[in-house]
Amino acid sequence: METANEVIVEHVTRVEGHGNIKVLIEDKRVKEVKFEIYEGPRFIEKVLVGRTYYEVPDIVARICSICPDPHQVAAVEAIEKALGVSVDWQTKMLRELQLLADVISSHALHLYLLALPDYLGYPDALSMVDKYGREVKMGLELKRAGNVVKEVLTGRSIHGCTVKPGGYTRVPTPSELEKLSSTLRQSMEGAILAVELFSSFKYPDFVRDENVFMAVDPGGIYGFMGNHILVSDGGRYPVEEYKKLTNEVTVPHSTAKHSSYKGRPFMVGALARVLLNKRKLKGRAAEMLKELEPKLDAFNPLTNNLAQAIETVYAVERAVEVIDELLDKGLKQDVEVKVKPRRGVGVSAVEAPRGVLYHCYELDDEGRVAKADIITPTAQNAANIEKYIKVSAERLLSMGEERLEGPLELLVRAYDPCISCSAHLIKVIKIR
Amino acid sequence: MKAGLYSLTGCAGDLLRIVNIEDKLLEIFDKVEIMDFALASSRKVHGKVDVAFVEGSVTTQKDLEYIKKIRENSNVLVAIGDCAIWGGVQASLTGIDLKELMKSVYNTEENYYGFLGEHKAISEVVKVDYELPGCPIEAEEFIELLIDVLRGVLPEFKDYPVCVECKIREVPCLIIERGEACLGPVTVGGCKARCPYNNAPCIGCRGPIKDEANVAGELSMLLEKGWKREDVVNRLKLFAARYKDVSKLIKG
Repeated sequence: METANEVIVEHVTRVEGHGNIKVLIEDKRVKEVKFEIYEGPRFIEKVLVGRTYYEVPDIVARICSICPDPHQVAAVEAIEKALGVSVDWQTKMLRELQLLADVISSHALHLYLLALPDYLGYPDALSMVDKYGREVKMGLELKRAGNVVKEVLTGRSIHGCTVKPGGYTRVPTPSELEKLSSTLRQSMEGAILAVELFSSFKYPDFVRDENVFMAVDPGGIYGFMGNHILVSDGGRYPVEEYKKLTNEVTVPHSTAKHSSYKGRPFMVGALARVLLNKRKLKGRAAEMLKELEPKLDAFNPLTNNLAQAIETVYAVERAVEVIDELLDKGLKQDVEVKVKPRRGVGVSAVEAPRGVLYHCYELDDEGRVAKADIITPTAQNAANIEKYIKVSAERLLSMGEERLEGPLELLVRAYDPCISCSAHLIKVIKIR
Repeated sequence: MKAGLYSLTGCAGDLLRIVNIEDKLLEIFDKVEIMDFALASSRKVHGKVDVAFVEGSVTTQKDLEYIKKIRENSNVLVAIGDCAIWGGVQASLTGIDLKELMKSVYNTEENYYGFLGEHKAISEVVKVDYELPGCPIEAEEFIELLIDVLRGVLPEFKDYPVCVECKIREVPCLIIERGEACLGPVTVGGCKARCPYNNAPCIGCRGPIKDEANVAGELSMLLEKGWKREDVVNRLKLFAARYKDVSKLIKG
């Protein structure tokens, strides 16, 4: 006799966004897996239509509060391509600093506040304070360092206002930058501690399966911007071919579209970046990677956490270096390039903390948005997450594991999905 | 005091702004018992809350059911951020047909996601006791509010525009000096004129001053400065499409 058994186990939390994991099990076999994203649709691409190029960075920031910065940088880069504008070295360096700051605050949030409680067995970071006070405080300090940089550079730690096509409306003063440099230096300890913590955990291998990676080719040194995409199968494509690379389809169970490359799901994010660009890392992060490389498992998405930690060390060091170079050269105010509206199309890709982010704009004669296309890393990862949920659920069942919810939640959280807002549910439906 | 922090549709920025008060976070949560805060904690305590802080717009059927439950379960309900107070940037699409919206972004006319057809403010569907503006909210204002709530009172609403804060910080007027389409005159102050201070025009992210913002006056002033009506209306509706005077302008 068949009985359908629906078990609602717990809220999947500490992930940014509204989503469910649904696993349908029949006769101890996984019949169907869905990573449901039920975040309300906001139609941001439609909000942009008809608006002037100048307004775009302020609007796209609102897509995500954890990574407004890569959205802004991707937008201004794409718009500048459409308008045939190029910015100077200083503006490029400030954009790199903005992306680094976002990586620092986002990774610190994820590693210390969202992921660490899993590995130490707590419901949240605040409950860890009694026993792990030092860790929580250093994590908060690290997160704060990234946010302080954003505040100074963009006017606000979330949804900054100075980022425009052509440059920044306000350039930080030398004394502001010196202060930031010292804040960043102090936060380094927290970044190193994250590597120590996340290299000490054992990552269960029930999730192991072959994987495909994509990341922006940063050129000579490790970074978060570039004009080409690297694929782990050896492919290298200009960002203009982003549609071929992401192959998006709308699925009824998710407000995030699903992506595939050559018919296969793929992964973007810190693990993809570190593995595809590992020889480009420098300084302490490079030294750490030498020792920890065997622990970064291309076939195990759980090790994304360790990649994030190593990358944070790099980001802190590189941010200090960028500031030093800016101070050395001397900061120019009023370098904002005057932008003339014209018809055009521009595509850009930057690395957001969670992976490759594409922005594409078609502008009309007056520089108004005729069409906008934005592909976020979590949308690209969604199909990959489903694939790994399926593989993991099958393995866990064959190992005789009855409670799948905890391990599957751990898996989803390792991707650091950014769906936009809280409250999630893992639902395992068992049909015997 | 028992508190819940909840999210409807949005970017999570208002709750993240709270998590980003790194230097006071531990102190804040020492004084408040958190019953529900899914963004930061897996612990959920059942039972009534003294105060609910809710961000996000009411966009889906799920949002609607959720906010009704939150209302029933709380003594004081505070809407935080522009999405919760005005429907957010997504509410600028008010008036566009659901099928057209779905087609434009998801390439289907089906309503897959339980979308209500428009992005509503919380006060349109349940009683709201206090509104804390911003996109995102200001940390300082949140702390002030929390201190008041702990004392059992609610602060006064701010009813002065961003311009007042430009004057205090001696920021030259972006409209007069540079002819920018700055929305400072119609926007609720409290942000210390963040954007004008950084040489960027106010985009109105804190929403209009309720019942006082003279949006028709703002429009005619900017038309005189040479701005196109379409562009000014677009800007006015970004964070306040559901404000009555702005919706009048949208309808023409």
